[in-house]
Amino acid sequence: METEIAEKIEPPASLRADRRIGFSDRALFILIMLALFVTLAVVLVFSAGMGATRIGVREVLGSLLHGHRSQGTDSVILFDIRLPRVLASALVGAALSVAGLLFQGLFRNPMADPYVIGSSGGAALGAGIGLFLLPSFSFLGFGATASMAFIGSVATIALVYWLARIGGRVPVVTLLLAGFAVSTMLSYSTYFLVVLDDNFGLRTRVLASWLTGVIAVPRWSQLEVTALMIGCGLIFCFPLARRLNTLALGEDYARQVGVQVERTHLAIILAGSLVTAAAVSLGGVISFVGLIVPHMARLVLGPDHVRLLPVTAIAGAIFLVLADTLARTVLAPSEIPVGLLTAFIGGPFFLYLLRRTRREYAL
Amino acid sequence: MTPLLQFVDVSFSYQQRRVLQAVSFCVEQGECGALIGPNGIGKTTLLRLAAGVLGCSRGTVSLAGRGLHTLGRREAARLVALVPQRFEVPFDFTVEQIVEQGRTPYLGLFAGFKRPDRHAVERALGLADVTSLRNRIFNELSGGERQRVKIALGLAQEPRLLLLDEPTQNLDLGRQLELLDSIRALNDEGVTILAAMHDLQLIPGTFSSVLLLEPDQEARKGSPHDILRPDILERAFDCPPRRHPKLVSENQVALEKTS
Repeated sequence: METEIAEKIEPPASLRADRRIGFSDRALFILIMLALFVTLAVVLVFSAGMGATRIGVREVLGSLLHGHRSQGTDSVILFDIRLPRVLASALVGAALSVAGLLFQGLFRNPMADPYVIGSSGGAALGAGIGLFLLPSFSFLGFGATASMAFIGSVATIALVYWLARIGGRVPVVTLLLAGFAVSTMLSYSTYFLVVLDDNFGLRTRVLASWLTGVIAVPRWSQLEVTALMIGCGLIFCFPLARRLNTLALGEDYARQVGVQVERTHLAIILAGSLVTAAAVSLGGVISFVGLIVPHMARLVLGPDHVRLLPVTAIAGAIFLVLADTLARTVLAPSEIPVGLLTAFIGGPFFLYLLRRTRREYAL
Repeated sequence: MTPLLQFVDVSFSYQQRRVLQAVSFCVEQGECGALIGPNGIGKTTLLRLAAGVLGCSRGTVSLAGRGLHTLGRREAARLVALVPQRFEVPFDFTVEQIVEQGRTPYLGLFAGFKRPDRHAVERALGLADVTSLRNRIFNELSGGERQRVKIALGLAQEPRLLLLDEPTQNLDLGRQLELLDSIRALNDEGVTILAAMHDLQLIPGTFSSVLLLEPDQEARKGSPHDILRPDILERAFDCPPRRHPKLVSENQVALEKTS
């Protein structure tokens, strides 16, 4: 029956025209990806050279090519301080942006961001608890901070998801209120941990810096672990991207076309938490990155998550590397926490988005 | 011949509230059915049960002779598509991107769009007459255009049965008539249709059968001529006699014209 109809109607003439549009669309996407990769490489090299001791582009490239720290202090600075930090900020930026994209898809709401909905706060509290109470705990090679950050993030999103969802929808009002209340409780709980530790040691300083969002200089081993977490999260995300497109049309619709909605939501929460936890264990609570980057990407590429996902990841890396370089150089020799900088940029941006989506929460 | 859709003694309740009670009826291949009944009687619920989005608490729903509960969700979604009444899209998807989502039951997690998928999307766009809107943003379309895009979305599933929930709601007269034209055209193409309809005046001339749900009565099915009668409608919709002088007479006129 169906095939008969299909044969009766010949392939429409518009099909070819559409192919061409589809192709140029794809060409644009590939072009954007290439441009982003090149930009990321340039930004990484440039940022590695910036700082109290300036290292020229040629020296940076030379050291990278020779790969060893045999060329005096510049090389030591490069390999022990600059590169780990620049790579860490790239990882954190990619992770937070992808987490933002995932949560916006999960809540079907462009205001969601790991900071806004409290998952960063949950990860920070989890990491703090790990650092203070279970310092020797480890799971599959992941230390206490990373594992506990993951658990903290999952628990927080599950809580906000449960609080904010009304009949299969997540209105802006309930999302923001639930996220605000939960993340306030979490950040003060983290402060409480700081207060508990009366001798103000290293751990306390680490914890306090997590609350403002500072990308510390990580050890290479730490970098490897978080890169692994983020890599796993990203690979896990790709099959979810198409599902996010279907879920955007509503839970009822997705269920109707055979999507296992609850299972998919759980997968999104797990993937988003994994990358958030990795980001927080490197840089603490950095606000609004997950809001700005996906939004910008959406302006250029439209809302198709399959394309947004890789673009968001790389654009997020570029964004945070630049932000962190700015944060550590603009008031040199002192350093601004990068979380402060992103809050300065992201806060007004958040308000702008809120104003744009006003009609959704006018009751 | 087995009916395409069959309800046997189907009951459903939302927690405490019972909505449908022992409903039985069937829809044959090629039919164009209108589903009518007073507000809150369970028209939307019935459509969602038929699409397998809800499971019934008692009785059986069968599609093409197979129990809906024995079919997987994806398998069911290749037989039946439901065009919902409320449909909100938070992001700026284009019409084409939205209609492509109708292929979800045919795609695995990793498989990309193949030629048959492309073709089905083109056909759906063409049948619902929205090919020219393909690159427009869905949220910027008018009500009538959105309704047609929603139908294209349902058609992209290549269903044998298309369920429409209040397709003419919030449309002006001209767009209502256009939509009825599309429904007729689809039915001529061989798509079986069951549509919940609010406006009874739009039924004659387009729909070949009417399914009436009424309180405390068995579901009743017949031709528009048999169901759209004053005595039946007065009781089903609980309206006092002679408050609807035009409705039925106009229906009669329309019926006579078509037959």
